[in-house]
Amino acid sequence: MYQYDDFDHQFLKERVAHYRQQTERYLAGKLSEDEFLQLRLRNGLYIQRLAPMLRVAIPYGTLSSAQLRALAQISVQYDRGYGHLSTRQNMQFNWPEIADVPDILEDLAAVNMHAIQTSGSCIRNVTTDHFAGAAADETVDPRPYCELIRQWSTLHPEFEWLPRKFKIAVSGATVDRAAIDVHDIGLRVYEDAEQRHVFDVVVGGGLGRTPVIGATIRTALPAEHLLSYLQAILRVYNRYGRRDNKYKARIKILVRALGAATFAERVDAEWALILGESEPLPTQAIKAMQRFFAPPHLSKVDDPSAALAAQRLQDPAFSRWVERNVFPHRVAGYANVILSTKTTGVPPGDVSAEQMHAVADWADQYGTGEIRFSHEQNFVLPHICQADLFPLWQSAQAHDLSTANAGLITDVICCPGGDFCSLANAKSIPVAEAIQRQLDDTDFLYDLGDIDLNISGCMNACGHHHVGHIGILGVDKKGQEFYQISLGGHSGHSNTPASLGQIIGPSVSRQQIEGVMRKIIDIYLSERHGDESFLSCVRRVGIEPFKASLKQGQHDAIA
Amino acid sequence: MTQLLSQHYGRWQIGANEDSAWRTADAFTKGCALLLNVDSEPQPEWIEADLIGIEFPAFTDGRGLSLAALLRQRVGFTGDLRALGAVQEDVLHFMLRCGFTSFALPADRDPHIVLAQLAPYSQHYQASASQHLPSLVRLRD
Repeated sequence: MYQYDDFDHQFLKERVAHYRQQTERYLAGKLSEDEFLQLRLRNGLYIQRLAPMLRVAIPYGTLSSAQLRALAQISVQYDRGYGHLSTRQNMQFNWPEIADVPDILEDLAAVNMHAIQTSGSCIRNVTTDHFAGAAADETVDPRPYCELIRQWSTLHPEFEWLPRKFKIAVSGATVDRAAIDVHDIGLRVYEDAEQRHVFDVVVGGGLGRTPVIGATIRTALPAEHLLSYLQAILRVYNRYGRRDNKYKARIKILVRALGAATFAERVDAEWALILGESEPLPTQAIKAMQRFFAPPHLSKVDDPSAALAAQRLQDPAFSRWVERNVFPHRVAGYANVILSTKTTGVPPGDVSAEQMHAVADWADQYGTGEIRFSHEQNFVLPHICQADLFPLWQSAQAHDLSTANAGLITDVICCPGGDFCSLANAKSIPVAEAIQRQLDDTDFLYDLGDIDLNISGCMNACGHHHVGHIGILGVDKKGQEFYQISLGGHSGHSNTPASLGQIIGPSVSRQQIEGVMRKIIDIYLSERHGDESFLSCVRRVGIEPFKASLKQGQHDAIA
Repeated sequence: MTQLLSQHYGRWQIGANEDSAWRTADAFTKGCALLLNVDSEPQPEWIEADLIGIEFPAFTDGRGLSLAALLRQRVGFTGDLRALGAVQEDVLHFMLRCGFTSFALPADRDPHIVLAQLAPYSQHYQASASQHLPSLVRLRD
C-alpha cells in the first residue's frame, strides 16, 4: 500500500485546519449557505433528507486493517454504529453533526484518510479493480497510477471548479472490474510489445440522466505522458464544457456535441502544447510509486486443492461460498475473497462497527492486513491462503458476512434511495429487500446464476441501474413511487463489452414490482438455452419476450 | 465600489480600488489594461498588456483559472493578472496558484477574513503556474 510521508501528513493536517476554519466561519454566519455548500461538498459533506452525510474517500477502494478499525470507531463515536459502502468504493456515514465533521476529519487524518473531493464539481476519488495487485488475470497493477492520479488531482488549482463532477477509473486486468466504459475517463493499462506500460483512454462514458458508453480517443499512451494527457482532457472540458445546465454539464455531453473525433483533436492539440511546457513523468518516479505496491511476500504453500476439495465435499454451504465468493489469485494456493454485505434484511452496503472490526481482524489473521471495498458494495480480502478459506468462512458466518451470493441476483447494487437521499424519487432499499426475500431459496438462486440487479432511487443513477442486467429506476409519478425496469445492461466485467439496459415498458408500482421480477425470471427460464446466463439470453432474444412481464394477472409460481 | 487586494513590497494589502481604463480584447493595444471574459481565447500579443483582468461570472466558474494558467504558461504574460467579478475568498489560493497577482473583491467581503485565506497550504501536490516542478506532480525519491 501507499505509505504517507511528512509531506502527506503535513498536507492533511493543513486540510483539516482549513476545513475547521471554514466550518467555524459558516456556523458564525460569516459564510453564506451557498458558499459553504461548495466548500463542504469538496469535503464530502452533503445535507441529506434526515441528517448530513459524510463521504470518506477510500482511494481506489484500498485500505488497511488499522484504517478500517478507525472507520468503525468513527461510526460508533459520531454516528449510529454503522457505515455504508458506496458504489464508488467509498464509505458514507449517514448521521454525523455538521459541527463534528472537523473532528471526524482529524480522526481520519490520524490514519492517513480524508474526505477530499468525494463530492462537488471536481475530480473525484479514482476507482479501480477491487482485485488489483492480486487478480490472476491482471497484466499491470493499476494502483501506482491510481495513486499518481490521486496526488495530481488533489486540490489541483485549475480543476477544482469544473462544470460538473469528474470520475476516473483504471483497470489493468483482462476482465474490466472497474467499469471503465461508463466513467468520465476510463483508463486501461497494459504492456506493449516492449513491456512498457501504456494506456488506452476512454472518455465521455457515464450513467445519470444520459447514459453513454465512452469513446476510446487514444490507444497505447505511454505512462510518462499519462498526467499531461489527463491535463489536456481536463483543460478542454473545463474551458468548453457546458455550465448553463447541470444536466448537460458532464464531459459526455461535450464529447457528444463535438463528436468523439473532434473532441480527440482538441485534446491532442492541447496536449501537444502541454508537452512543450512540461516534463514527462520520469521512469524513476513511476518505479518509486510501484515499490509501494510491490506484491506482498506470500509463503510457498503445499497444493491445498485436495484438502479444499475434501472440505467442500463435507460442507455443501462452504462449497457454494467457494464457488460464488472466492476468486483466482495470481499466486498458486492463494485466493481473493468477497465478503458479501448483501444479507437479506440489511440495506446493501451497510456494515456495522462490529463487522468492520471483524473484517479488519481477518485481514490481519488470514491476509496481509489489507482490505478492499468493491463498487458492488462488498468487502474484499485479497491474498488469502486457500487453507484458510474454511476458518475464514466459519468466522464470517458468525458475522453475517458469509452469504454465498457474489454476482447473484441478491447481490444487489443499490443506492441509499428515498430513505436517506434528498434527491431520490423513490425508495430503493425496501425494493432490494423485497426481491431478496422473494428469492431466498439458495438452490434456485444458484441455478439462476449470474444476474446483476442494480437499483437507483432516481435518475442520478448512483445504483448504476443502466448497467444492471436487470436495472430498476425509481421515478415519481404524481407523487407516487414508481419503478422503471430495464434489461440487458452490463458494466463490462465477465469479459463481454459494456452495454446499457433497454427499458421494457411503462413503470410499475411498488406493489407490482415483485410480480414483475418473478415473471422476468420465468421468461428467462423458459427462453434459456442450457445453462445460458441471463445476460447472454437477453442479448440473444432481445427485450421483446420480456415485455410480457409487465402484463397484469399472469402470475406463474417460481421455485 | 470594489476593494483591491494586491501585494505591495511583498506584503498583501487591501485598499480602495480605483477603476482602471479597461479595454476589451477587440480594442487591445500594447501597454493597455486588458479585460477578458472567462471564455476568451488567449492571444500571443497579449504578452504586451500592462495589466490583464479576468471577470468571473460566478466563483464556481473555473474557466478563468484555466485562462490564467494559459496566460502565464503559454502566452508568457508576466505582468499583473487580476481577478474581477465574483471573487470569493476561499478560491483565492487556487487563483494565486494559477497565476493571479491581484484581486478586485466585492465591497462586502471582510478584509480580515480575506487576508487569512491566501495560503491555507504550505505545499502542493502538483505543478502550477506559481510553482514549477520537475514533473506535473510532486515526485518522491
